[in-house]
Amino acid sequence: MNRKLIGVTALLLSIPFYAQADAVSDLEAEYQAQGGTNFNATAGEALWNKEFIDAKKGDKRSCTKCHTADLKKPGKHARTGKAIEPMAPTVNPKRLTEVKQIKKWFVRNCKWTLGRECTAQEKGDFLAYLKNL
Amino acid sequence: MTQRKRKGGVRETKVRVWDIPIRLFHWTLASCFVIAWFTLDNRYLDVHIFAGYLMGGLILFRLLWGFIGGPYARFRDFAFNYSKVQNYLKDVLNKHPPRFLGHNPAGSWAIYLLLGLGLSVVITGLLTFGGEERQGPLAGLLNFPQGRFAHELHEWLSWLMLGVVIIHVMGILVESMLHRENLVVSMLTGFKTSAAGAISTLSHWKIGATMLVAIITAGLFWFQGHLTETPEQLYQPFHGPALPDNSLWREECGACHLAFHPSLLPARSWRAMMQKQASHFGEDLFLEQDAVNKIETFLVENAAEQGLTEAAWKINRSIPQTEILLRITETPYWIKKHQEISDAVWEHPKVNGKIDCAACHIDAAAGTFEDAAMHLPDDVEATATSE
Ligand code: HEC
Ligand code: HEC
Ligand code: HEC
Repeated sequence: MNRKLIGVTALLLSIPFYAQADAVSDLEAEYQAQGGTNFNATAGEALWNKEFIDAKKGDKRSCTKCHTADLKKPGKHARTGKAIEPMAPTVNPKRLTEVKQIKKWFVRNCKWTLGRECTAQEKGDFLAYLKNL
Repeated sequence: MTQRKRKGGVRETKVRVWDIPIRLFHWTLASCFVIAWFTLDNRYLDVHIFAGYLMGGLILFRLLWGFIGGPYARFRDFAFNYSKVQNYLKDVLNKHPPRFLGHNPAGSWAIYLLLGLGLSVVITGLLTFGGEERQGPLAGLLNFPQGRFAHELHEWLSWLMLGVVIIHVMGILVESMLHRENLVVSMLTGFKTSAAGAISTLSHWKIGATMLVAIITAGLFWFQGHLTETPEQLYQPFHGPALPDNSLWREECGACHLAFHPSLLPARSWRAMMQKQASHFGEDLFLEQDAVNKIETFLVENAAEQGLTEAAWKINRSIPQTEILLRITETPYWIKKHQEISDAVWEHPKVNGKIDCAACHIDAAAGTFEDAAMHLPDDVEATATSE
């Protein structure tokens, strides 16, 4: 009886972690199916900090422009000034918990930053970098 | 009525003509008038409204005091008909007007006019407040166009009242000179000099003290929010009605910037914006069709045409029917309201450009944009005034 209760409680408590692990590993599996391999946190970090020149406006863009380089700190939207909560899942447990959210923001943010959608490899590398912060 | 003939040798005494309630009434009313005049600007609306309420209360008190007050305060002491006024003015032109201890015939007419105009200004003010701002005891009694009409009436009556105030003050100066007495000082001290035998009024200090306590209490009560506000929790004098909300809209449209309330643009703008969601000011919103439909419905149902707020009504009527604007900040009403703001303010670190409504409008997230909820960040104010 008591054991069961502890077991259920432990299960309930672990849901947030499962959710993250779930969302990220689901996506990693998907990106692998699309041709990505050996997702690599170092490559993800490099891409995160890399600057891209916008083809139309000529300004420099990078993921850090909105999320800052220190992912444990809150960011600020480069175009609107709105505050963005920290990216690191250790500081902000809500991060990387929903497949739909992550996909949507990859589309939005890659298009604005890189001027195109990211490849499966790039997205996998980003996740490998972000998930362990 | 006590008239004094200027004959030498008559013993003169001090007579109390104006009791304390009358003097308090007079100077507070005058202050209210001046204060209201200097707080026309929307951002001081709560002060303006307080001055108006106080003015209304004072005038009602004065009407009552005209029947139950001291001898010089009663209306029957200065109920002069037109021919008396005419005769008095003729005497003034001949520089020999008779002297009245209380109000003279011309002065009395100014008093009646001021009381009547004052009351009309207060009533049209309340109608404006209720019609345009949806606030106060008459909230929602008039619609926006009617509220606007009341507003214009309110302004005309105020100008008229200013005219009578000026005539009143000039009359005081002329009479003071002709009779070589200082009527302004009399209204402060309450005393005039007169031949012996003229009656003095009681000071009625208890009633005066009650008035003073009432005014101060009302002021503290009205303005207490200013005393308790903190930089994080700014005081907002008036709260608009709770506007329709939608969690999907707030989440999706509030992710990159303030969730601009649907009432800030017409339906045709929202439809166009949602159709072009893949190129939203250079962003691909990448929303699912289902979400697009739901958000669009919410936006269209509460668009500016619905007139949910004063801003909605004014924004909508400022845009030519043929134009489909995608930016609130490009609507003629918005431009007009913000044209005096300098570039230095827009570029200030605490203001993230024109679309950062919340930097200056405390109620931006609620979407109400109440006039008195406009509050420039403190150091922005310094930049704004130093230019
Ligand atoms: C123009 C500003 C901007 C840029 C540049 C930007 N992002 Fe974002 N990003 C946002 C905003 C806003 C959110 C959502 C805010 C929130 O969830 O608190 C977000 C959310 C995300 C999320 C979703 C996190 C979650 O928990 O679901 C990911 C992943 C992400 N961004 C990755 C990136 C990557 C990778 C780049 C660079 C290619 C990037 N972002 C560049 C503004 C930006
Ligand atoms: C991915 C980020 C993002 C999301 C999500 C987003 N917007 Fe925007 N929006 C922007 C940017 C960037 C601008 C342009 C800012 C600028 O130029 O100052 C903008 C501008 C606007 C403007 C014009 C503001 C003005 O008056 O100048 C409106 C209105 C607007 N968005 C409505 C919406 C609505 C409605 C939604 C939800 C369907 C939405 N936005 C979702 C990024 C976003
Ligand atoms: C830099 C500060 C600032 C920003 C940012 C700003 N406003 Fe204003 N706003 C003002 C000022 C100042 C007034 C004029 C107030 C007055 O007339 O006394 C005003 C007036 C208004 C009014 C008229 C009602 C009133 O309060 O007088 C509306 C509606 C309004 N703003 C909407 C907006 C919206 C919507 C945005 C964002 C798209 C915005 N404002 C951004 C400063 C700002």
